[in-house]
Amino acid sequence: MKLPLSRAHLAIPVAFLLFLGCLLPLILLLVFSVFTVDMDAFVMVPAFSPQAWAQMLTKPVFAFLIGKAVMFGLGTAVLAAFAGYPVALAIASLAPAWKGIASVILLTPLYTGEIVRIYAWRIVLGSEGLVNTLLMWLGVIHAPLKFLLFTPFTTHLVLLYNTLPFMVLPIWLSIELVDRRLIEAARDLGARPLHAFLRVTLPLTTPGLSVGLFAVFALAAGDMLTPSLLGGPSGVTPMSMIDNLFGTAFDWPLASALSLSLLLVLLACATVMSWLVLRLKGARAVFRGGMR
Amino acid sequence: MHGALPVTETMSPPPLLMARGLVKAYGSSRAVDGVDLDIPERAFTTFLGPSGCGKTTILRMIAGFEKPDGGSLVLDGRSLIDVPPERRPVNTVFQNYALFPHLTVFENVAFSLTLRRRSPDPAPRVMRALETVHMSEFGNRYPHQLSGGQQQRVAVARAMVAEPHLLLLDEPLSALDRKMRSHLQIELKDLQRRLGIAFVYVTHDQEEAFALSDVVVVMNRGRIVQRADPATLYARPANGFVADFIGSATLVAGTVMSGSAGQGMASMETALGIIQAPVVEGLSPGDPALLVLRPEHLALRREGPDRHFPAEWPGIVRHVVYQGSSYMIEAECAGILLRLSALMPPRIGESVAIGLDPARAFITRPGE
Repeated sequence: MKLPLSRAHLAIPVAFLLFLGCLLPLILLLVFSVFTVDMDAFVMVPAFSPQAWAQMLTKPVFAFLIGKAVMFGLGTAVLAAFAGYPVALAIASLAPAWKGIASVILLTPLYTGEIVRIYAWRIVLGSEGLVNTLLMWLGVIHAPLKFLLFTPFTTHLVLLYNTLPFMVLPIWLSIELVDRRLIEAARDLGARPLHAFLRVTLPLTTPGLSVGLFAVFALAAGDMLTPSLLGGPSGVTPMSMIDNLFGTAFDWPLASALSLSLLLVLLACATVMSWLVLRLKGARAVFRGGMR
Repeated sequence: MHGALPVTETMSPPPLLMARGLVKAYGSSRAVDGVDLDIPERAFTTFLGPSGCGKTTILRMIAGFEKPDGGSLVLDGRSLIDVPPERRPVNTVFQNYALFPHLTVFENVAFSLTLRRRSPDPAPRVMRALETVHMSEFGNRYPHQLSGGQQQRVAVARAMVAEPHLLLLDEPLSALDRKMRSHLQIELKDLQRRLGIAFVYVTHDQEEAFALSDVVVVMNRGRIVQRADPATLYARPANGFVADFIGSATLVAGTVMSGSAGQGMASMETALGIIQAPVVEGLSPGDPALLVLRPEHLALRREGPDRHFPAEWPGIVRHVVYQGSSYMIEAECAGILLRLSALMPPRIGESVAIGLDPARAFITRPGE
């Protein structure tokens, strides 16, 4: 029998890798989370113990950290959507040559490493940094603004900056795919530009918008460096906690339980989000190819 | 109220839409190159021309999607130039319908009626519009669940529900198969009569233009070549371009010899001899001209000369094409391929005689 080979089969190698690289570690985490640790010998002891999960579920700090990660993720995603949509609209309205230039500029922050960017932000936002110096020189303020650095504000701002390209790109592509004649039809039927946008462009770009929301949510909720290096005392995240537990604390079972819990919560959030997206008429119309 | 009409209205009514010196340029090429045009009320006007002749650009300028580079555009006595599309009493049926894919048929048709806050319930008007186009059963469907013909009907309902003064139709039937097209042509014509509003239609299909229109505006290279009713266009084309573009014709080049302007007749010297026929206005003796011979004005004589025809030439049959109800024949006479139709086919290579009633031929200007 001849095996029918279609384009879909090209995904098999990657699917296999994803399976090995994703599912296998997850199984390991699950196994580790029921082990115990012998602190004297610094070794994990195979067991079937609920100890780590009990800690995980009873100590409020873990739930708090996971909740904070979700809030950072959602907050950044919503902020990025509001900041990114106008940028995407602007890029979509450029002449083709300028679109290329705009997308290169848009992605510039990603070419520099994350650490470089973080220290750059410290220079910009510090008490003797660019912003404070400028504002004091202008006479707007007389003492450096303290909330600029090492606060939740800093974390939100920098997460927003880092993730903005992942919001703008999918929305931009989505806008490009909306048939111009649909906008013309809306105007022709009496819609002012704002109404044409709200009733035609926005619904038909919900797929791009939701891809952006997913990407930014995952990036921001899972980020560790930005909160811990720029967030000051507020910068503890589930990620940094996991890092500590695996590393210095040598509590692999608890680290595994926390990792799995965080993953489950983020997955649940993503599931709810995609369920919401698929209830939108605009998204359904695009996904069934109705724009062609 | 009767009898109190102002004097001007008892004479010819002012046109609904008036264009003067309309120009639209893209870079160095002029898509529309100085168009003067009146579009009457309640009439079906069609812009006909090859692709790129500027007909769609004119439609888009009337709709407000393109801004003219020059000239004026006046609707109901009001200049349209600075009026955005949403504030023009004009609606468009787009070439590929441009139905909103995320809205149902009902919501598509209701679109224009629900834009203002506190607008009355659109349902009765939407249902009436859907009934008019025989689509009232389909209100809950989405556009992708409809056939091309059904989508076209919804597009018409959506455009007319707002009761525009002028309905623009941009090749609305070009994506449909032949049978559906002729069916919808009849429906559109019927709809225009019932609604009594002016339709402006764009097509490159001459048969469609003739089937629908009260007035046909033939365009070429951004200019209007001729504006007339279909019968006049066919019988008295203003020049060789119109004669060639509309219907089937043999065009024979020659020179005007003499003319009598009063009677509209002229004689013309051609390779087929000297022929006296009706002539277009403005040709003088010595001018180059074209003799327009429609297939149905020529007749085939297979057995010897037939003296019923004032003009007759011997020829040889070159091509015979079966067309169902008749045969299209090309016969060579004096080095010219004459095209005519016949009920019985001759053999290819057969010697025949071709007869012409010159009173039904037409002498027109060459080219362009």
